[in-house]
Amino acid sequence: MFRAYFDMATAEISEFSEVYSAYAAGCLDPGFALMVETQAVLRPEVQRALIKAEAIAGIMLEKEVEKPLSDSVFVATMSLIDAEESNPSQLQTAVRTASAELDEILLLPSPLRETVLETALQNDWQTLTPGVRRMKLSVDSEAEVELYRIAPLSTVPRHTHSGSEFTLVVAGGFHDETGQYGPGDLCLKGPENTHQPTADAEGVCYALSLREGGLRFTGMMGLLQRVLGQ
Amino acid sequence: MSVEHSGASSNERDRLADCVELIAAQRSRSAFAQIFHFFAPRLKSYLMRLGSDAAAAEEIMQEVMLNVWRKAELYDREQASVSTWIFRIARNRRIDTLRRVNKPELDPHDPMLQPAPQEAPDISVNRSQMAAIVRQQLETLPEEYLVLLQAAFYEGLSHSQIAKRLGLPLGTVKSRIRLAFQKLRPGLTPDD
Repeated sequence: MFRAYFDMATAEISEFSEVYSAYAAGCLDPGFALMVETQAVLRPEVQRALIKAEAIAGIMLEKEVEKPLSDSVFVATMSLIDAEESNPSQLQTAVRTASAELDEILLLPSPLRETVLETALQNDWQTLTPGVRRMKLSVDSEAEVELYRIAPLSTVPRHTHSGSEFTLVVAGGFHDETGQYGPGDLCLKGPENTHQPTADAEGVCYALSLREGGLRFTGMMGLLQRVLGQ
Repeated sequence: MSVEHSGASSNERDRLADCVELIAAQRSRSAFAQIFHFFAPRLKSYLMRLGSDAAAAEEIMQEVMLNVWRKAELYDREQASVSTWIFRIARNRRIDTLRRVNKPELDPHDPMLQPAPQEAPDISVNRSQMAAIVRQQLETLPEEYLVLLQAAFYEGLSHSQIAKRLGLPLGTVKSRIRLAFQKLRPGLTPDD
């Protein structure tokens, strides 16, 4: 009987493999699962088989007997959700931060935006202090060309310069001992000036800096800079 | 082992899909509550069927439901029913937790090892249509076939494990599952 069916149904043999049910049920070795999924992309008959197999499993879950839950489990689940919503996981935070920063970069004025995006492929942000980061831009210049990102109310460590430093505020604003700078304002410091810019509270400050010669930090950062030989 | 529910009605399935979309769009807690009340007791049964005790089953179920909340944005009702989608989350969780992973025993005749058919009569794959057909045809299958499909596709038992559990010859298990699987396609009546 079985034999007869088998012979008769030669054309149908490619319908079912034990692999499909193991895949649907989630007990297939992950390497094999990857292979089956890949094969499904290449072969419609395999894809159909997987769709069928997964549909069967889903329907079985719908038809499943309901096992009574303990009293508190729904409330406990909701409080886990509440906790998670008010305190997103590190990964969620990282993803949100990265996409927020990309949005910020996309808002930069056009020629700078392209340079930053190009640079970001090779150079990453360098963190100076929490809240203050800079990226060395790939620009063929005699000067050091850097973009600063200063979080609201964060302060760039006090520093002086061996040459002149031009700082153009691109977004947000900062203030230092000499005044207040907003978008489009250019701040020039010479070797005789020491300053400690602080970003305004309202938003992230982006500033483009051109520097002749090096930047010398004073105080603790200066000590670090000398020790690290930067 | 008995299958007590007839599953969800088509209205109810639409309602469940609406709920997942509401979670995604509005972080709706009341929509989540409806999903929870439908699936949590079933997931608990499923996990206990796989050998978890009641406490562990509730813990894993909770993790699955949290993932439903987190991943609601990824749900696409054109791709799968809510039950298939949630089952997928649960089975992945199960792989993490229970680590009962099979390496398949493939014989040279296994369809996976066969070359592509010369003529593929129906290349286009419409997921929701296919799932609807499976659902429809499943209703017409006799209980002894349903039991086999449940053991294989839902519990993940191998054919030889099923043969042992039900006291059937291995060949009978294989041919019946193949036959049942083939019946789940368009245009077949239970008498075919």
